[in-house]
Amino acid sequence: MENRPIWLPFFLFLLCIFSSFCHAVWLTLPPTGTKCVSEEIQNNVVVLADYVAIPDDHSHNPTLGVKVTSPYGNILHNKENATDGQFAFTTQEAGNYLACFWVHGHNEGGKDVSVNLDWRTGIAAKDWDSVARKEKIEGVELELKKLEGAVEAIHENLIYLKSREAEMRIVSEKTNGRVAWFSIMSLGICITVSALQLWYLKRYFQKKKLI
Amino acid sequence: MDRRKTSWFSTIHTLALVFLGSIICRGSALSISLIERECVSENILHDGDTVSGNFVVMDHDIFWSSDHPGIEFTATSPDGVLMYALKDTSGDKFEFKARESGIYNFCFKNPSSTPETVSFYIHVGHIPNESGFAKHEHLDPVQVKIAELREALEAIISEQRYLKAREARHRHTNESTRRRVVFYTITEYVLFASTSILQVIYIRRLFSKSYVYHRV
Repeated sequence: MENRPIWLPFFLFLLCIFSSFCHAVWLTLPPTGTKCVSEEIQNNVVVLADYVAIPDDHSHNPTLGVKVTSPYGNILHNKENATDGQFAFTTQEAGNYLACFWVHGHNEGGKDVSVNLDWRTGIAAKDWDSVARKEKIEGVELELKKLEGAVEAIHENLIYLKSREAEMRIVSEKTNGRVAWFSIMSLGICITVSALQLWYLKRYFQKKKLI
Repeated sequence: MDRRKTSWFSTIHTLALVFLGSIICRGSALSISLIERECVSENILHDGDTVSGNFVVMDHDIFWSSDHPGIEFTATSPDGVLMYALKDTSGDKFEFKARESGIYNFCFKNPSSTPETVSFYIHVGHIPNESGFAKHEHLDPVQVKIAELREALEAIISEQRYLKAREARHRHTNESTRRRVVFYTITEYVLFASTSILQVIYIRRLFSKSYVYHRV
C-alpha cells in the first residue's frame, strides 16, 4: 500500500496520454501560407479541439497562429504565437466551420511544422469521465453507456440524412419542373419573336411601298 | 492486509477496464482543400489495429464534370510500405490491418489543375487481446465482446459519414444545376430577343434611303 501513491499517478498519466492522442490527426504546415481544415456541422453540436505544434527537428520551437471561423464569419477562436492550445464551442449555425493554421514568427531553414490536431464533434466530444463520476458508474456499465451514446448518435445521423434528402428532393423536383417550363417558354419566345419580326418587316416594307 | 490488497487489485482492474475503453479509438472527419498533394498522418498505437475510413471529393464547379479524372489516394506505413492505393476515384472507402505501430501517412494527389475539396474520415479500431496484459491478469471476454460491438457501431458511423459527405456533394451538384438552369435560360431569352431586334435594325438599314443612295 505504501508504494501505491508513486505508481498510480504515473499510470493515470499514461492513461491520459493514451486517451488524448488516440484520435488525433497530424497535418504538415508549409513554411509560408495557411493550411485550413473544415467540417460541415449541424446546429447545436459540441465541438472540442486540441492542437499541439511539433517541429520536425528539435532545434527550434515553432509557434502557430490559429483562427476558427463560423459559417457566418464570426471568429470563434483566434490565437497567435502559440505552441499548443484548445478551443471548444457549441455550434449556433449549421454550415461549414473552418480552422486555419499558419506558422507564426521566424522559421529559419524553412522546415515543415507538424500540427497534431484533435478535432472532435458531437458524441466523440462527450466527457465520459465526468459522466462516470456524476452517475457513479464504472467498468462494464460505463462501456455500455458509451455504446448507448453511439447508438443515439447513429439515430440522429439517420434523421439528419433523411431531412437532407427531403430538402434535396424538393430542389430536384423544382429544377425538374423549371427545366420543362423554361424549355416550353423558350419555344414560345422563339415563335413570338419571329412572328413579331415578320409582322414588323411586313409593315415596314408596305410603308416603303416595296410590297 | 488481504482485504486491502484485494480492494487495490479491484481498483487497478477497474482502471484497466476504463483504460481499455478509452483505447478503443474514434476517428476524425475533416475536409481539406487539395491543390496538388496533401498528406495527413495518424499515429497508430498498436499493431494489429484495423484502420478504416473513407473520402469523398467535393467538386468545385467543374464545367464538364463527366471528364473529371478523380484523385489518387495512398496509405503508407511508417516503414514506407504501401498499405493501400486507389487511383482515379472521386470517393471511396478503404480498410487495412496495421502491421506495426507508428505514424501512418494518408496522401491525396490531384492530377488536374483545379483545386478540390476532399472530405475524409479515418478510424482506428482496436480490439483488446492477450498481448497487452500482465501475467496475473486475464482478458475478460465481456470486454472483448463489448469492443467488437463498439467496432461494429463505429463501422456504421463511418458509413454514415461517407453518406453525409456524398449527400453534401450531391447537394452542391443540385444547387449548381438549379443555378445553371435559371441563368442559362434567362440569358438565352435575352440573347434571342436582342438578336432578332438587331436583325430587324440591320434589315431596316439595308433598305434605308441613305444606303440606297450610296449604292447608286
